[in-house]
Amino acid sequence: MSITVKKDAALRRAPGLGGQPSAKRRRTVSEQNRPLWMLTPGALLIGLIIIVPLILGIYIAMLQLDQYTIRKWISAPFVGLNNFIEAFTSTDLVHAFGNSVGFSVIATLITVPIGVYAALATQNAYRGRSLVRSLFLVPYVLPSFVVGSFWRTMLQHDGIVNKVLTGLGLPAGQWLTGPASFWVLILVEVWAAWPFIYLMALSGLQSVDQEVHEAAAIDGALWWTKLRYVIFPYLRGPVALACLIATLHHMNNFSLAFLLFGVPAPFDVQVLPTLVYSMSFTSLRFGMGAAMALISLLLIALPLYFYLKAVRLDTGTDAGGKK
Amino acid sequence: MSNNQAPDVVLDVPLETSPALRTGSAARKTGRQTAAVYRLLPAPLLVGGTIVLCAMVAIPLLYIVFSSMNSDVEVARGAFFPTEFTLDNYSKIWRTLPLGNGLINSVMIAGAVAVVSSLLGIITAYVLVRFEFVGRLSILRGLIGLQSVPGGLLLLPVFVLFASAGNYLGITVIGTYWGLFLAYLTFALPFSTWVMVTYLRGLPKELEEAARIDGSSSLGVLFRIIFPLSWPGLVVSGVFSFLLGWNDVMFASVLTRPNTQTVAVVLQIFGSSAEGGALPLYGQMMAASLVCAAPVVILYLIFQRFLVGGMTAGGVK
Repeated sequence: MSITVKKDAALRRAPGLGGQPSAKRRRTVSEQNRPLWMLTPGALLIGLIIIVPLILGIYIAMLQLDQYTIRKWISAPFVGLNNFIEAFTSTDLVHAFGNSVGFSVIATLITVPIGVYAALATQNAYRGRSLVRSLFLVPYVLPSFVVGSFWRTMLQHDGIVNKVLTGLGLPAGQWLTGPASFWVLILVEVWAAWPFIYLMALSGLQSVDQEVHEAAAIDGALWWTKLRYVIFPYLRGPVALACLIATLHHMNNFSLAFLLFGVPAPFDVQVLPTLVYSMSFTSLRFGMGAAMALISLLLIALPLYFYLKAVRLDTGTDAGGKK
Repeated sequence: MSNNQAPDVVLDVPLETSPALRTGSAARKTGRQTAAVYRLLPAPLLVGGTIVLCAMVAIPLLYIVFSSMNSDVEVARGAFFPTEFTLDNYSKIWRTLPLGNGLINSVMIAGAVAVVSSLLGIITAYVLVRFEFVGRLSILRGLIGLQSVPGGLLLLPVFVLFASAGNYLGITVIGTYWGLFLAYLTFALPFSTWVMVTYLRGLPKELEEAARIDGSSSLGVLFRIIFPLSWPGLVVSGVFSFLLGWNDVMFASVLTRPNTQTVAVVLQIFGSSAEGGALPLYGQMMAASLVCAAPVVILYLIFQRFLVGGMTAGGVK
């Protein structure tokens, strides 16, 4: 690499390019002829569908809004913070909050070793590897509403899962109600979501230099030592980021729980997205639903904060901007 | 994207040195000997784990395929293999549930979202990457933040907003394609823009400067220079925007009426009602699931090379 850099520097000092300011000083972002009007369509949409509803949501959360007052919601009775107080004291909110945190964290923790292993296992070429790689992507690629509907079929009381279990001499279970349902949600989410960690780990492995392998081989490092001290440091960044994004996805995942259990979801598997949905569109208590939706922002606040800190926003201000 | 200077460097290294000391592509050619150097996992762990993982993924997939060719009764009894393979389910589903209508609605809505959000994404990204202005970094940060906003937070206010457009302004939005289109478009936009931001950063600025010197306007640069160069990025943002619309159940279940239902809602309603009947139509449900999944899986397989990068977009940079 150092050879390349020197050659470049030499070229820049060549007589033909002499007096000009070096390319390094030129910025890729310019301040002239800014066509800022091009931002307006996007800004309008985000304003109309995200910003306005967000503000409206805060207002609705303070209204006594239900199916009777929805038609003239502007004149619905204003109740201040009552909805929030009631949400905390006399609904399943705290329980659902705990479920959401538990579900998301456990699902992420289980997917990490699977995803990292899969990345390591497909890094070295072998015959049929591209087929394996394509297969690994399928669970992630399937829409959650499809994943939900076929797992639901498999987990029916008379379904294939119980049939296999009894065939092996194990007791059949009630998977879609009761305490087991929480673990079923985790299991299905893990089945569908691990390839994301795999992809991120794969992108981390791609940044491992060839020389590193050779150095490890010369030192006679065993496979585990090499992984632990040589390869894993490369994966730490991408996998940590993957964990944040995956946790956010788990927390916001409504479709899977909705398809597996319907609304209102069984108590044991009531997560925040399904609670907000059933409060708004099954119980038709819109004000309470909006209040709960706002409270659910607390859920994603922590991972989102770290995610925003971790992402490098701007790499375009240096010379060339080429990779 | 790759560094075009690399081959020069490699050639400088004498080829006589031991395999372990060779660098870059030269080492890759030496085959078995060096394969051991780059191996990450011992063979038993590699083979065993890969088989377990493949089985974990493939068995449920095979289950859907086999069940879709089985009778409803046998699937309900927990059969894996059909005693008699039949394609009846694939002809019955079009009558038992409004699948065709749902598919057309989904293709129309998601397709329109894909096209429009890619277009808006590249325009917005162009301004964000190439021009300096107050609030630029906040917008970039906002693009990431907006991708994480839970849909459930916005569902109700958007519903109320759209309902009000009907009640107060006389514009019907709920139950039409427009409501869903606008909602998906807005949720797709931050991602599309972010994908195009990361893509445009990699494009050299020289071509644009040349066009500017020739008197091109910003729009001219955008459509004659940037656009033709960015189709790989456009594919990624288009496909993922399409999938956002295709995969959503939450907004579609609230903002549609029976004639505008997307296929996701059709399947969800069928799933929850099919079990209520005396004879659950599981075989047909699996066939319908496969029909819904097929376009998505095919899209991925066609564009796999581009999309893998897109799936980690926002994470890698």
